[in-house]
Parts: sequence; C-alpha cells; structure tokens
Amino acid sequence: MKIKSSGSNAPDVDMTPMIDIVFQLIAFFMVISNFEQQQADERVTLPKNQLAKPPEVKRDDAFTLNVGFLKDKQGEIIDRTPYIFFGDEQIEVANSSNRLRQEAQFYQTIGTPLEDVTVEIRADREVQSGLVQTLIQKCQEEGIEFQRFALKATQKVSP
Amino acid sequence: MKIRNRNEGGEKIEVQMAPMIDVVFQLLIFFMLTLKIIEPEGDFDINMPLGAPQTSSVTDPDLPPFKVRMEADPATGALSQLLFNGQPMGNDSTAFQRLNLEIFKSVNALKAAGPEALEKQEVEIDPDFGLHYKNIIEAISACSGKMVDGKMVRYISRIKFAPIREEN
Repeated sequence: MKIKSSGSNAPDVDMTPMIDIVFQLIAFFMVISNFEQQQADERVTLPKNQLAKPPEVKRDDAFTLNVGFLKDKQGEIIDRTPYIFFGDEQIEVANSSNRLRQEAQFYQTIGTPLEDVTVEIRADREVQSGLVQTLIQKCQEEGIEFQRFALKATQKVSP
Repeated sequence: MKIRNRNEGGEKIEVQMAPMIDVVFQLLIFFMLTLKIIEPEGDFDINMPLGAPQTSSVTDPDLPPFKVRMEADPATGALSQLLFNGQPMGNDSTAFQRLNLEIFKSVNALKAAGPEALEKQEVEIDPDFGLHYKNIIEAISACSGKMVDGKMVRYISRIKFAPIREEN
C-alpha cells in the first residue's frame, strides 16, 4: 500500500477564526469592565430596592461617603462601630467634620458652589439610621453646607 | 524615473501573526482579571435644605408633611412599628406595602386638589436612632413610587428627615 507522504512543510493553520473570537472576547470584557465605580467600597453591603435606579444623567459634582463596618474575609462584621471609609483611612462619624470641611473647601477652591454638589451616601444596610442622619447634619454644619444628598441602594431586579 | 516593480519575484508577503496573538492574549487576560461584577446601584434624592435641621421645618403651613414614623426594637435595631400619620402599619414585610398603599391614596386625594399640591407635598421620615438603615430605604421607596410593569410611577419626590432622635 502506498502511504501518502505528508511532506516536510508545516501545515498552514488558519488563524482568522481564532483571532475573530479573541477580538470578540476582548471587546466583550472591555465593554462590561466598569472603571467608574472606584468609589464603591466592598465593606459596605448596600440595602436592596426595586426603585433604586441609576441616575440617567451622570452627576458632574458628587462625592461618595462609604459608611460601614470592619469585616473579615468571610464578610462577617468584626467591629460593630460604623466608620466612614476613605480608602485605607477610617473615621468615626462623630469625628468626620474636619474631613467634610476639607471636601467643602476643595469644591470652593475649584469654584463649584456647594449647593450643586451631591453627597452620595453609601451606608451599610445595618448601620443605625440616626448615624446617617447625624452624617447629613454634619454635612450641613457651618462652613460645610452641602445641600444635595442621595442615598444609595443596590438595584433589585423584580421577579 | 524608474518605478520599482513591487510584484517583482511574485512572492506572497507573510504576515507575522505570533506577536499580534501574544499581545491580544495579554489584553484578554488583563480584561478578564480586572473584571469585577458589580450590581448596578441607584439612589434616592433627599431634600435637606440648609436651615435649622434640629427643628422640624414646615415649608408650607397649608400642606403639612406626611409623617412616617419608624420605631425600632432597641435590642436588635429591627423595625418594631411603622406609623403613617400616626396610623399603625405593622412591622412585618407587608408594612411597607401598606404604607405604599396609604401614600397612593393620599396622592390621589392630592391630585384631585391640583397638581401643584402634589409637587409641594413632603414626606418626613422620623426613625428611631438605632433602626437599621435598610428600613429607611424601604420607607423612602414606598413613598417615592411603585414599579408597574417595569416602569416607575412616581408618588412623592420631596422627602426629608425629621430631627434626629436621641440614642437609647
């Protein structure tokens, strides 16, 4: 029987379909990657609500306050004292005036009126309500005077 | 001028695919690793004009705000009683539905009085200090509207907080 010789040339692999798929994947991951929610803190478990819809127009001037508890890797609360998280920094609500004043001064320096700035409050679902009210009150102390507030919640998809 | 014949020799130019594939895979891995699945977040606007936050401010004396009072269990912070204008709504999961219904009835009554009245109407949320924050969101949601077939029907948009209650 005659065996067909495959020859010494390497077979040509058609790369086009693979590149097509890989580009599709890259495009997919690029589109769904969300680089905007850098302000969100993982230590905060937001309450869920059906009516919580993302704003249709993105706010120009907004800053976020994350209020939550220190948690371990399993997500269990290890300290029942709520803190405001600024990156690695944690401040108790009672001692937050200086930090809020700095934020207000920043907006005043760049020439944005404080009444146009929205304070987005991301509070953990188990934080005491009075504490959130205290935080809002602190945001309205003399020299801080923010007027717009938005309480954040995770959007619950209705069944 | 002599023009160089590009097809001289008639050889096909081979494109080097290996470097491109290397880069493309690097990109793919980068996007896969940086992917974080985050649930979409929404928010509720709160109307807190400057002034005396410690005193209950009435914007329009003819239109007193709807009062939503929430009492908390001091030990757990769970909701123990929900009251709408002094009327008990219960403390279970249906309490907020009942509140939503009461707000709907009041909104209909206001609509009959005129569209301006509805725009001016405020809701004042008055929780106990220790109440879990998730109840606030539920109450605000019940006052602001209802989802009907995936669309939001807005009831009241002016929501504010009552003065802070003392911590127990």
